[in-house]
Amino acid sequence: MLTLRNLSRTYRTDTVETAALDAIDLDIAAGEFVAIMGPSGCGKSTLLNILGLLDSPSSGSYLFHDQEVAGLPEAKLADVRKRHVGFIFQSFNLVDELTVRENIELALLYHGISAADRRKRVAAAMDRVGIAHRADHRPSQLSGGQQQRVAVARAVVGKPDLILADEPTGNLDTQHGEEVMGMLQALNRDGATIVMVTHSPAHADYASRVVNMLDGRILVERRRAA
Amino acid sequence: MWRNYLTVGIRALAKNRAYAFINILGLAIGMAACLMILLFVRYELTYDATLPGVEKAYQFQSHYKSSQTGAEMNLQMSSYIAGQRFQKDFPQVDKLVYALGGSPVVMKDGEATPTEDVLLVDGNFFDVLRFPFLRGNPATALSNAGSIVLTESEARKYFGSIDVLGKTLTLTARAGRTIDYRITGVTADTPKNSAIKYTMIGRVDMASYWADIPEFLDSWGWQSGWVFLTLRPGADPKVMEAQLPAWEKRNIPNETLGGLTTNQGDDQDWHIVNIRDVHLGKAQAGSMTNGNDRGTVITFGVIALLILGMACVNFTNLATARAGQRAREVALRKVLGASRQQLIAQFLAESILMSGIAMLVALAIVEISLPWFSSFLKANIQLQYWGLDGVILPMILLVLVVGLAGGLYPAFILSGFQPARVLKANKSSADAQGSGRLRSILVVGQFAVSIGLIICTAIIYGQTIYAQTSDPGFRRDGILQIPNVGRIRDHGARRALVDEIKRIDGVVAAATTSIGVNTRNSSNRGFQIDGRNDPIELGTYAIDPDFFAAMGMQRVAGRNLDRNRPMDDATLPFPSQPAADAALNQRGLNVVMNELAVKRLGFSDPQAAIGKTVRTSMVDLKYGPTPVTIVGVFNDTRFRSVRTPMEPMMFYRDQGGDDYVVVRYSGDPQAVNNRIEQLWKRRAATVPYQARFSEEIVGKLYEAETARAQIFASFAILAVIVGCLGLFGLASFTAERRTKEIGIRKVLGARTRDIVQLLVWQFSRPVLIANLIAWPIAWWVMRDWLNTFDSRITLTPVPFVIAGAIALVIAIGTISAHAVRVARANPIHALRYE
Repeated sequence: MLTLRNLSRTYRTDTVETAALDAIDLDIAAGEFVAIMGPSGCGKSTLLNILGLLDSPSSGSYLFHDQEVAGLPEAKLADVRKRHVGFIFQSFNLVDELTVRENIELALLYHGISAADRRKRVAAAMDRVGIAHRADHRPSQLSGGQQQRVAVARAVVGKPDLILADEPTGNLDTQHGEEVMGMLQALNRDGATIVMVTHSPAHADYASRVVNMLDGRILVERRRAA
Repeated sequence: MWRNYLTVGIRALAKNRAYAFINILGLAIGMAACLMILLFVRYELTYDATLPGVEKAYQFQSHYKSSQTGAEMNLQMSSYIAGQRFQKDFPQVDKLVYALGGSPVVMKDGEATPTEDVLLVDGNFFDVLRFPFLRGNPATALSNAGSIVLTESEARKYFGSIDVLGKTLTLTARAGRTIDYRITGVTADTPKNSAIKYTMIGRVDMASYWADIPEFLDSWGWQSGWVFLTLRPGADPKVMEAQLPAWEKRNIPNETLGGLTTNQGDDQDWHIVNIRDVHLGKAQAGSMTNGNDRGTVITFGVIALLILGMACVNFTNLATARAGQRAREVALRKVLGASRQQLIAQFLAESILMSGIAMLVALAIVEISLPWFSSFLKANIQLQYWGLDGVILPMILLVLVVGLAGGLYPAFILSGFQPARVLKANKSSADAQGSGRLRSILVVGQFAVSIGLIICTAIIYGQTIYAQTSDPGFRRDGILQIPNVGRIRDHGARRALVDEIKRIDGVVAAATTSIGVNTRNSSNRGFQIDGRNDPIELGTYAIDPDFFAAMGMQRVAGRNLDRNRPMDDATLPFPSQPAADAALNQRGLNVVMNELAVKRLGFSDPQAAIGKTVRTSMVDLKYGPTPVTIVGVFNDTRFRSVRTPMEPMMFYRDQGGDDYVVVRYSGDPQAVNNRIEQLWKRRAATVPYQARFSEEIVGKLYEAETARAQIFASFAILAVIVGCLGLFGLASFTAERRTKEIGIRKVLGARTRDIVQLLVWQFSRPVLIANLIAWPIAWWVMRDWLNTFDSRITLTPVPFVIAGAIALVIAIGTISAHAVRVARANPIHALRYE
């Protein structure tokens, strides 16, 4: 499903050139649950951003569903992103001014879906993560775990086939972290491909494959026996 | 402590240069507008304030209100006899002088030079109005008839010096009479901010001056000059005014016109107005200098305050919008022991500092633009810093008021942050509850002001253009109007001159007349018709039959007057001969009227009036009314301003009563003018040639309206600039604040276009709401204003919609740069560093 070949990403300032990703090769098949681990600054998030088409590689090739997406214009990337990718962030990234329902609906607004259909799908997503009773609350009125559940609902409501999670449990306590991991696992079981960045070995265990990174390179790949 | 505040304040400004620039520039524009208008308002309110003894000096005015139509005409002038009787009956009057206005001709070395604003007085004018003398003795300068006082400019114009005492100046005045005057004084030129204007003041003996027309001296309805007076100490003009109705009844005799009794006091009231109040007074007709009305002055003041208010709003808005950026500083200061009062003081000091910097910029703007502003208003507005009239004090006040008004709310918001929450959350986007809504409301207010001003500008411009281009009922182009033809006393010579003008190449028609394009004189007569007791007032004007062709008017019914029919001619010998008067009265007279006149007389349509006879006094009242037969009706015409109601008019032929020649020409206007001037100088060397094209006359007529429209436009532009500065600043802060949200939306698939749309809509909404506030107010104000015109444009939705659209386009233009920049930004930066 995702194929990275010799992919590099460098950041340039006036004097320094930093290689965040250095000639990476990576294949992710449909239905996989991949955890990316590594110390801070090793390029995990950069990799995730490139996978999610939020950032473009400096060189190399990225095939998304067999289509070369490296170097596509912004509008095209946005289009692929909204049809295929859902995001979950460590800091939830909910819009403070919108209610739970509206935050989730936001993901459908740019899909050209009718209002009635949107309502139905939002309701289903809320049921799925168990947040329906808080539909009209603002993010500031929710606990961290509840906020992340809203974020998960928002990530899945558009029915993406790829879910990217950037330390989804980083801001949560153990119990809420487990809850979120359970949700991701369930989504994966239902067919979604999941790529997750995490610092927690315990949560990495939920994945079918763990990719360890250091200094912009993939150090070890470890597959868990199914 | 204060040094720390100052350091932090200046560094905060330096760190946010764009913010500081927007704030200071916006405030500076608002303050500059406010200062200039303040200077203008003070200028308008202090007319004649510095004239010595002005607190005791008054003008005796006559105000008319027609009992038939309710139309008001409030004159600064009064009849000669009114002044005489007033002085006789009121011992409170100390000194009183009558000043007859006129434009005689100065004869020097055989050459006739026209003059303006010459006063002929019957007493020592300078006892009442103490204009400063440069030469001569004000107490005695006008003690004797035949003496004259010139202004400095006038003395230099004729003699090249102001040392002219004892020299002789020859004036040719009314009816071609020449009088030699001995110069007894020179005064400074009358200041621009004076309601009094003269170039020369000559002393005459009114009785002998008017010997040929003694009626002038005892007519209560003949206003050709002004009555000035001083009151004795303790006299109360209000008490005296209360006694005037009874005084009128005692003094004004009834007049009988063919059985009908009228009294000149019926429609007339007198008022005692202090000289300082003349300029902005109720009476503006027959003024020496252009007056103004309090409404205009107040309107300008209000607009200045609105613009200043908008600048303060920017200040408040930007300060609260960026409050979050300083939340950590506030929290830290509190943790370190600062009290809320101290923080409020700090932020207020900062805003006053900013307001002070803005004032310096504002002063630079005022210094640069005041000369332009002043000459534009034809005023002499000076910027003076020190002294009682200085602007230093108002400036300091303005700095404090603006600093406090703009800074108070943000100071309370900022100082109210809870340190624990701010520090724990490590928030950069802390925003006080409700301040977002307040900002929206304030932006709506700002745009409402801008839109309102744009609408007013559009309508005022529209009306100004309409006034100059609307169909006046005659063909306005191709007319040359020459005054003073009445100074050629011999009818034959006058007619011969006009006949020669007609033969000039390029002249299509020429006629003598007593009314033309915006001629000042108005002459009314009461008309009697069977079955009505009260006379009907019509304007009556002497014309030559070619007048209608020269003006390009249309005959609606009947025929034109005919030079070959004696019954069409009201010309009488001069001086008057009783036999001729009686004969005219006996035989009657054919006249033509305009449509409005026959309507006023009660005829159903113009055709119905043809051949009908009404009565009016064409000769001395003792002969009774003269029967006049309507032989023709012409279309209605508007010879005066569109502010003046359409006039019902009767036209009659009187070869002695005309003072103007109107010439219709074709081809090169200047060439025709030159040819006529050459002829005129050959035939009438002693009469100055002062021809003007109708376009020029009309332009002058609407000069004040045009200036007002332009001032309004400038203010509207200023308001829009200030509003946009605020919006620009606000947009940048909002974009910053919404970075996270925009990032999320982008991650969820929003395109740049969607984000730009989102932001544009956010800022378009207040503009759209502003329309809802601005429209009704502007409609109401403009309807009232348009009602001051007799002929006016209709109030359509067009200027309203256009103003709204302009504001919207400007608002979108202002913020779209931000919106595009923010929308293009990569969302990962926004989302990673929450």
